[in-house]
Amino acid sequence: MEFSQKLILIAPEILLFCGAVVVAVLGLSNSRGIRRAVPFVTALFLAGAVVGTVYVYRNEDALQASGLLFPRLGLFIKCLIGVAGIGLVALGTGTIDRTFENAVAAGRARFDPLRVIRGEYHAFFLLSIVGVMLICNATDLIWLFLALELSSLPTYVMVALSRSSRRASESAIKYFFLGAMSAGLFLYGFALLYGATGTLGFLEMRDVLTTMHQSPEGLPAIAILGMTLALLGIGFKIAAVPMHFYAPDVYEGAANHMTGFLSIVPKVAGMIAIIMLCGTFGWAEHVTFSPEGTEMIQEGLPAPVTAVLWMVAVLTMTLGNIGALLQTSIKRIAAYSGISHSGYMLIGVIAGTENGIDAVLFYLVAYAIGTLALFGVLSGLSRAGHEVESLEDLAGLWRRRPRMAAALALAAGSFVGLPPLLGFWGKLFIFIAGVESGHIVLVTIAAVNSAISAWYYLHIAGVPIVKMTTPRSEALTPQPNGSPRVVACVAGLALLIVPIFSRNIYTFARSSMRYGELTLPVEDATALVDPDTKKTPGPEEDPPEED
Amino acid sequence: MTTLGTVSSLIAQADLIDPKSMQLMLIFSALLFVIGLVGFLTRRNMIIMFLCTELMFQGAALAMVAFGRMHMDASGQVFVIFILTVAAAEAALALGLVILLYRKRDTLDAEAWSELREC
Repeated sequence: MEFSQKLILIAPEILLFCGAVVVAVLGLSNSRGIRRAVPFVTALFLAGAVVGTVYVYRNEDALQASGLLFPRLGLFIKCLIGVAGIGLVALGTGTIDRTFENAVAAGRARFDPLRVIRGEYHAFFLLSIVGVMLICNATDLIWLFLALELSSLPTYVMVALSRSSRRASESAIKYFFLGAMSAGLFLYGFALLYGATGTLGFLEMRDVLTTMHQSPEGLPAIAILGMTLALLGIGFKIAAVPMHFYAPDVYEGAANHMTGFLSIVPKVAGMIAIIMLCGTFGWAEHVTFSPEGTEMIQEGLPAPVTAVLWMVAVLTMTLGNIGALLQTSIKRIAAYSGISHSGYMLIGVIAGTENGIDAVLFYLVAYAIGTLALFGVLSGLSRAGHEVESLEDLAGLWRRRPRMAAALALAAGSFVGLPPLLGFWGKLFIFIAGVESGHIVLVTIAAVNSAISAWYYLHIAGVPIVKMTTPRSEALTPQPNGSPRVVACVAGLALLIVPIFSRNIYTFARSSMRYGELTLPVEDATALVDPDTKKTPGPEEDPPEED
Repeated sequence: MTTLGTVSSLIAQADLIDPKSMQLMLIFSALLFVIGLVGFLTRRNMIIMFLCTELMFQGAALAMVAFGRMHMDASGQVFVIFILTVAAAEAALALGLVILLYRKRDTLDAEAWSELREC
């Protein structure tokens, strides 16, 4: 494909990259007004990138020629991560640099560019989002590796910057070391895959692997080892067992707004990378076309890979839920609940039918909105200058800040999967896809887990409403900056309202999962592609409407 | 051993290279990777732990070079250049973080940092 067309497709990322540079400079400005404008500029660039994405993905020629495995996947993910990004920027507004800015405003300190982190924080924020967006445009393993690293390297720095306490440094170093180790794992997996297939491109690799799979000898062991290592390594990003143990510590040590970032952005990145890799390894019931133009059903994920993913999914949701039952710190509960949600999402990946992947994409939307509501509440409140930490801090919240308690209850309800809320539909689609693909045992385990998880989610929802105010929770006050609370309210409302549009989101997800590059004569290809292409009109293109 | 068997059968197809030396390179790369992994899990000095992750990266890079030669394909070598670049970026980050932690506790022992754990 032509280089210029490739550039057109990543124009939104280029815009965000420029945004990162602009924001980094603005954050060092002498003028307080300009420094305060940094979050708004960041949000503006994100909004621009979302609009740009919608515009760029209208360019059918570039998409057809892109050589991507899932040419339209990027549209969904980039809109999701862009909109969620705007919410995440709002979570951090007013928290970053607050003490120093207050000192400067009161005349106690002189402005010193070395002591502010606002610019760096938002620049790294944008770079990390660029990394996630670039994953969707990966055509080969090199690109995937670089995009994954681009999305994770800035987060290590952001964790260290987010608070000045020792705990933030400790969680940053834990996160960094385990992240580097997991990068080594999936990199070695990539090397083995390259050795087995002799190519780095996803499309060529898929063809080679399919041929091997259908040959009498089956897949070589080296390819299966490579797939397993790659999936386990990327499992770090979604906090899947056995790479999950960092999550509670890191989430607890980072500042609240940063924890919200960590539970959304790397998870989306990891899920997309896993979906793309599994698409390369081949999925059941994805219709491909033989050179004669006849349909043929692919054999599906190789049995050993399915077995590995099956075990990872079961362990991830079970350990996540059991871990969450034992916690009192609300951030550790959030970490373990995030782990278990990764387990549920893996069911969709294992199911692998078109329904399965659509369900995963839908679940990501539900998960992102729920997480925004939860962390909006947590970063919107503070206890005498400290962050909200234990569940006890929230006792009696209902009487004093009913909206916050309501948002918390809605988020918890959506995570459990209570019927009218968005999370219910996410779980429903996932379970349906699992049953349809014949993984009844897996779905049963997930349903039992889901019932167990109701215990701690009801605690999150119930403690603020039922328990009386204690002296400890008496000290709970709203933060001076209201934007996290606005995010919490909007996201909570979205959990109630967005289900009305769940059909639209689902169609949007479905249209973004079609395989690219059909290997059949051109006129037939257009006949097969066209009817669906017309199903992706503009209005459906902004699923989470929290901003 | 099945893995090695497949590798040698793949090598036999590309008869340009001496299978013996190819096997040696792959075994060496696997060794580097495993040493890195085991070292990472057992050592407690932060600098050593970081070097172990670098060893894992270099194991992967060496495997890339070897496989690239085996398939007579340049993309493996191209990948190695990117791996080296990313490894350099990670090194800069790691040293920055390690210095940050050293200033706070005056030790490189990872065990000294255990404020965050299950209660």
